[in-house]
Amino acid sequence: MSKEERILRLSQELTGQWTLPILLSLDENGGRFTPLQKKLDIVPSRLSANLKKMVADGLLLHLSPQERRHPLLPEYVLTEKGRLHREAARAVELSEEQIGHGRLSDKLWGMPILLTLNFEHGRFQEIRQSLDGITPRILSVRLQNFHDDGLISKQVLEEPRPSFLYRLEKEVKQPVKQLSHDLTSLV
Amino acid sequence: MYKSGVTVWYSVSNLEQTLEFYTGKLGFEVVFHDPSTGMAMVNTNTKDCVIGFSEAETVEPATSSTVFEVINIEEAMNSLAGNGVSFIGEVEQIPELVKLATFVDPDGHNLMLAESLAEV
Repeated sequence: MSKEERILRLSQELTGQWTLPILLSLDENGGRFTPLQKKLDIVPSRLSANLKKMVADGLLLHLSPQERRHPLLPEYVLTEKGRLHREAARAVELSEEQIGHGRLSDKLWGMPILLTLNFEHGRFQEIRQSLDGITPRILSVRLQNFHDDGLISKQVLEEPRPSFLYRLEKEVKQPVKQLSHDLTSLV
Repeated sequence: MYKSGVTVWYSVSNLEQTLEFYTGKLGFEVVFHDPSTGMAMVNTNTKDCVIGFSEAETVEPATSSTVFEVINIEEAMNSLAGNGVSFIGEVEQIPELVKLATFVDPDGHNLMLAESLAEV
């Protein structure tokens, strides 16, 4: 797998509404369920489901009641992979702040699409091919939303056949380039 | 080496329900309560002996017992039963030593009343 593919995969693993907030908030809430649930203001069953998935993905360890030596000690701890993802999450959060359009990683494929454009894959089919598993519909919706929000430009190409070329807007280019650089150091 | 003080800590599934049990039914007082972190402590009738609670996603009933000394176990049982505490089984007696009555908190953690039979 190329470095570019590894970066895209890492950014894809951070998309979704709760993965990034959980990674960033777990330690400061002592690795315990209740403080985390209150801090994130998430429905308990939803937090449980997210934590379960993150355990299955190898990002977290769920300590059993027997493994916890005191009720105030963590219920969940980051694995080595989880700590790496937390660093990546910090980089994503920083780029979101710099772009200034709120959270972009909370929607599936949001950040991977911007990173793909940073890698100069500007045509619809090129973007689609570089993002393993994305559906044409979701790619189309995300590109349209990014265009509506002024994050990307859309240029009509006549040759070899009519199509669109998508590019990051100037003010988005630097934060995404920085994100790409930061993630490169982690993969 | 030691100073005066013992704290028993329990993981609990619902802090509010637990506090209602330990204060409303057992008559102890809340000395610390932080809903945002899911932590609380109640005192007992013994100085410097407190019980701490920490809310957890997964709770397993503790097999160790916290045992509260009483003067007369039958009277104490009647009093707690009047508050809605359910006792498990009959009063058990260890001859010449102690009489014991078992009950559990909302998470099934073992608790006991003990009346000493040993002569001081």
